[in-house]
Amino acid sequence: MGKKVLTVDDDPDVRLFTTTVLEEHGYTPVEAGNGEEGLQMITSENPDLVILDVLMPRQSGIRLYRELKTSKAFAGVKIIILSGIAKKTFLRSQQALTEFGESPVPEPDFYLEKPVDADVLAETIRKAIG
Amino acid sequence: MTRILLIDDEPDLLRVLARSLKADGHEVATALNGPEGLSAFAGQRPAIVITDIRMPGMSGIEVLKRIKEREPDAEVIIITGHGDMDNAVEALHFGASDFITKPFRGETLAIAIRRAEEKIDLRRRLKEYTLDLEGKIEKATRELRRRSNFLTKLIRSSNDGVVATDEELRIVVFNPGAERIFGFLQDDVVHSRYLSDLLPKDLVESFQRAMSAERAFKELPWREATIVSKSGERIPVMFSGSILVEGSNKLGSVAFFQDLREIKRLQRELVRSERLAAIGQTVAGLAHGIKNILHGLKGGSYLVDVGINKNDSQRLRKGWDMIKRNIQRTSNLVLDLLSYSKEREPEIQECSPNEIAAEVCDLMRERVQQEQIELIREFDASIGKAFMDPQTIHTALLNLVSNALDACLFDENTAKRWQVRVRTIAEPGNVIRFEVSDNGAGMSDEVKNKLFTSFFSTKGHRGTGLGLLVTRKLIEEHGGCIEVQSKLGEGTTFSMQLPCRVQGLAT
Repeated sequence: MGKKVLTVDDDPDVRLFTTTVLEEHGYTPVEAGNGEEGLQMITSENPDLVILDVLMPRQSGIRLYRELKTSKAFAGVKIIILSGIAKKTFLRSQQALTEFGESPVPEPDFYLEKPVDADVLAETIRKAIG
Repeated sequence: MTRILLIDDEPDLLRVLARSLKADGHEVATALNGPEGLSAFAGQRPAIVITDIRMPGMSGIEVLKRIKEREPDAEVIIITGHGDMDNAVEALHFGASDFITKPFRGETLAIAIRRAEEKIDLRRRLKEYTLDLEGKIEKATRELRRRSNFLTKLIRSSNDGVVATDEELRIVVFNPGAERIFGFLQDDVVHSRYLSDLLPKDLVESFQRAMSAERAFKELPWREATIVSKSGERIPVMFSGSILVEGSNKLGSVAFFQDLREIKRLQRELVRSERLAAIGQTVAGLAHGIKNILHGLKGGSYLVDVGINKNDSQRLRKGWDMIKRNIQRTSNLVLDLLSYSKEREPEIQECSPNEIAAEVCDLMRERVQQEQIELIREFDASIGKAFMDPQTIHTALLNLVSNALDACLFDENTAKRWQVRVRTIAEPGNVIRFEVSDNGAGMSDEVKNKLFTSFFSTKGHRGTGLGLLVTRKLIEEHGGCIEVQSKLGEGTTFSMQLPCRVQGLAT
């Protein structure tokens, strides 16, 4: 069985896309439609990698990201952010949150902007977990 | 004390009198006859002169006359003899202040002198007082002039037009601000024209009523009006006036005018730039929406490729569906954007609002069945045909009902029995109210405030962000308005009111 990868995105088309790419490249895909569901799946499925969208309703994507990056339990999980917003914008929003008293979080390991090529995604996944 | 001149031809009397006066502390000069006396007067300038009336050579009367010529303020006391009453009277006529009759006691003279001194003192004080008064008047006049100048400058400098009239409404003040607004020159108007030459009839009537009103109602509060200038231009102004009274007297009236042309121009600019700003924001949000769609197309074509290469018809199907879905999304986005940016006049025609509402509900039938939401229709039977734009009603209702269904789906409380209620209500004043309410997710105040103002969607990938903006624009173009009430976790109600030129509405 290949390594397990969880996709968290509210757009079912995106989930379909990443699931297909993962299957084609020998990984085991699981999916969640929002941040809360994603957190549940991480606890129950123990994935090696999370592909995360940060622009979801009720900011559940960003919250999940912060959760993963600040909690020790999930320190081993790699994260690829796959988002419609530019990396610069995302980093700036994190900076703003830090200024408002939230604890600072490290930059994401991998950041891909939509729309993304299947090859690029596959390559990034390989770099993340091999 | 005082300087006194004694003139008498009797040397003994002179000596005695002089001694007595000196004893009283006066400065005394003496002369034995008229001419000597006059010369002594010129030299010494005494305040009081005491002269005998009967003297050889120049008479006392003559001395009196000469002294009075020279110094009208000199006090001259005449010494008369018994039977000299006529002379005494004559002396008084020529300005003598007093006369004493020989023989007299020392006291008599002292009293006469004291009276003379009092007169001198009184005269001096009067002079001082008069001078002082003149000084005060001059000062007060200067102050008045200064204040008057200040007030005049105040009125002249005001950017607002200031027009004041007398009690017959004839113009007495017309400042440069008024010149600019009305186009008349001050000289052409003051004292020659009346308020009725300047203002439209309804404003003049307001003034006339206020002028003749017995009590209160002396103020005409600020309101917008339109005046016609000398050149015939219609100018929007902000106007206010009042009647000037003093006690029960009517002094006149005053009116203030603010030229609103500039403000109105700026308001139009503001509306235009707000819309441009919204479009600018829209462009940013739009780029985001398009990126998502592109991603969907790319993803779809990837799946199709895999499907073809691996002969996997399921993948092929899924990929193709994804592409079709995203083509539809593109189409929706473009249509929304066009609707939002175009200025559109509503196309008023005879239609049936209840029928349109029913149509929209029918369109939703499949979805509500699938998602198990109850769609309730409450249409006001008194609404028949109306003159409105059916497109506006349809698009707006479709957006609101679709949002209501989404609100139920987004609701985390899955135990709820979701309901969406669509109501039409006839209201007085030819207005129809459409209400769409749901008992779904509800909105926080933060979300509610952003609702109509920016490219904002809580629906993640599914919203174009423009739905409500377009809806509001359509409603406003139709002359209506829309408002929202919502409670987080409990539900939302959107309520829009549209005017209708109505036919067949039971009132």
